[in-house]
Amino acid sequence: MDPKKIFDAVVNGNIQETQDGVNEALASNVPAEQILNEALIPAMTEVGCLFEAQEFYVPEMLVSAKAMQSGLKTLKPLLASQAKQPGGQTSPKAAFGTVKGDLHDIGKDLVVMMLEGAGFQVTNLGVDVPPEKFVEAVNDGAQIIGLSAMLTTTMLNMKAAIDALTEAGVRNKIKVIVGGAPLTQAYADHIGADGFAKDASSAVRKAKELISTLEMTHE
Amino acid sequence: MNSRERVLTALNHKEPDCVPYDMGGTVVTGIQAKAYSRLRTYLGLPEKEAVIIDILQQLAQVDDDVMDRLGVDFRNISPRSTASFKIELKVTPDGKYSYFHDEYQIGWRMPLDGGMYYDMFEHPLSGEITAEMVENYSLPDPLDPSRFDGLREAAIRVLEQEKRALVIGNISAGIFELYLWTRGFKDGYTDWAENPELAKKILRKYTDLQLAYWERMFEVMEGIPIDVVQMADDLAGQNSMLISPASYRRLLKPLHKEMFDYIHSKTDAKIFFHSCGAIRALIPDLIDVGVDILNPVQVSAANMDSAELKREFGKDICFWGGGVDTQNAFDESHTPDQVRADVRKRLEDFMPGGGFVFNTVHNIQGNVPPENIMAMWETLQEYGVYQK
Repeated sequence: MDPKKIFDAVVNGNIQETQDGVNEALASNVPAEQILNEALIPAMTEVGCLFEAQEFYVPEMLVSAKAMQSGLKTLKPLLASQAKQPGGQTSPKAAFGTVKGDLHDIGKDLVVMMLEGAGFQVTNLGVDVPPEKFVEAVNDGAQIIGLSAMLTTTMLNMKAAIDALTEAGVRNKIKVIVGGAPLTQAYADHIGADGFAKDASSAVRKAKELISTLEMTHE
Repeated sequence: MNSRERVLTALNHKEPDCVPYDMGGTVVTGIQAKAYSRLRTYLGLPEKEAVIIDILQQLAQVDDDVMDRLGVDFRNISPRSTASFKIELKVTPDGKYSYFHDEYQIGWRMPLDGGMYYDMFEHPLSGEITAEMVENYSLPDPLDPSRFDGLREAAIRVLEQEKRALVIGNISAGIFELYLWTRGFKDGYTDWAENPELAKKILRKYTDLQLAYWERMFEVMEGIPIDVVQMADDLAGQNSMLISPASYRRLLKPLHKEMFDYIHSKTDAKIFFHSCGAIRALIPDLIDVGVDILNPVQVSAANMDSAELKREFGKDICFWGGGVDTQNAFDESHTPDQVRADVRKRLEDFMPGGGFVFNTVHNIQGNVPPENIMAMWETLQEYGVYQK
């Protein structure tokens, strides 16, 4: 396999070349896990870096994410178990949604795609998500709950979602990450979130960090 | 100095008697209906149901009594929908959303429980489309006479009786905004990177729509001095541009220049350009294409520090907005004292030398209490005065 070819295809947002690269690698018996870990995931890490450096913007990030998803789609049925990554680690589960009253989805969807590109299993709960849906997601196994809000008027509903998790007695089992245009670290602290991220690539970094603390506390 | 003189002085980068004040001069410098009703009550003005002038943002019409009480220096005149079109509000079968389709066949919905705005859920040009489908997509008629009914008479009244500055609104959102709204955000951004020719074709269509509208509007207003023409295109997010500056220059800037050149050739009006977020990297380009006034001056976005913006661009562009940080100093979680402190800072930064119209960053949102609005206004009265 030439991981560089797949890597470049994803970074350049070229769906056809991504699929060709993945199919060629599979034809020469490269394990799906290896393609994921050595080409797709590093490519999306690079996309995140380019976004932070303001060399990539929303359009470039979207086409890269689409290319990555097309490669991932081919690999998914072949991954030994969808829940397993090499080394026997369980791939982390997350659920993301835009909070009640808010219908904005593009930022949240970018975070979901970037997280998938980082090896997470992510459930996209959509927009205008009532607090109880986040509780259900935890009951379905999510270890990270992501709350998104675009408006100063709807970010208040993030607290309602966190409160619902507390009331359901599941708050301590999981980590909550928040993001969206009007959000700040101070507001995240104020409503009792575990993490804040200002954009999709820092959300991935933060989610990884939170997962590692979660695993430590459970050991 | 009457309102119009004050505004024109400021927009010509000179110091008038005091900083001009806007509330409701455009659909991006107004006040949300819930906040407006509370403000009326707080001011002891007769109770009346707010007239919604912008259904998407649930903006209230600012009534004459409020304009007089607060000394609003602007009057907006905007085209109407065509007579052939009427918004029909419906409720989704699950009872959760109010929704409608607009003149462009864009679907909008608002949660009935706690919703404050309508947001898009359907885009007429989404999915797999061809250039032919773009050509066949039918736009509303920009020249329908019913759009212009009574506007000339209203403008004469503003000029002769009110002496307020006259702001003329656009027929639609900006061309890039309309492109994303009709194509859908994901498809629109994807085309921007993958299929710019299709994007250009759609943008051309909306540029022609707006040019036809402005041509007719200038005919309707012939002989009446228009002070401000309101244009827009949101191009940035909280932390950075949404599209690369290079792609702006390649795909969008030539069309902005074409429209603004046309407007400048037809009128002495200043071009007001609304663009939210972190757009500092583009300000030189906007000056280059003939933008005279920048709005909303989102001082909370990345690299949008008010003092720096004034220092770097204040000679070449006016700032209309940025008067109070809507995201971090204005809503119900902030005290009137916090509002006063923020307003004082913004006045210090923006008002020297003129070139500044006071307005909040974007519309006053539904969660801003009247105490904070009046703390803002009182601070403006106290400190927004130029020393003679």
